[in-house]
Amino acid sequence: MPKRVALKDSFMVDTSDLSNFARAVNVDMSDEQVDVSGFSATGVNEYLPGPRTQTVTVTFYGAYGTGETHAVLYPLYKNRTTTVIKWRADSTAVVGTTNPELRGNAKLFSYGPGSTRGDADTYDVTFTAIDAAGFDWFTT
Amino acid sequence: MTKTTYKVTGPVPFDVYQPGETFEAELDPELEERALERGSIEVVGGRASKKKEGTDA
Repeated sequence: MPKRVALKDSFMVDTSDLSNFARAVNVDMSDEQVDVSGFSATGVNEYLPGPRTQTVTVTFYGAYGTGETHAVLYPLYKNRTTTVIKWRADSTAVVGTTNPELRGNAKLFSYGPGSTRGDADTYDVTFTAIDAAGFDWFTT
Repeated sequence: MTKTTYKVTGPVPFDVYQPGETFEAELDPELEERALERGSIEVVGGRASKKKEGTDA
């Protein structure tokens, strides 16, 4: 796949297409690094991967209309709802090997909109994978 | 189980459907309830609306 400029991304939350209300997506998948080092001649640490945490942080524009950002996101946080999120690079192309889609069940463990005078109203929202399937990339 | 007909309301696409578009689906009941409450969709056919009354925040 060629290099790209992020312009046509698709981001869906709870089946609502919030692509036009999002301007940045950052995926973080990380395993706890468990030190299992024993005595050794080299003194180099030995590690094994431990519990895995997966998050997707999205910068959304604050919008408070019907079905818009706040209306979709706040109830998910308030009611501790599990929902599906989907992100892919090109919303104009179908999901495939060159346009994989990240999917998974997520919860919002925090929700913090805000505003600054004269600035575009944006805030970050972090979706955390909450089941054993985690977030994964799909090509179909 | 019969499918329900929905209309996408408001400015935000729902799944692959654009605002104003109608579609038939069997949505997960909890997903449907959330989408109805936030105004993403409305029921236009297939069965009576399940939208709750007096839940405006």
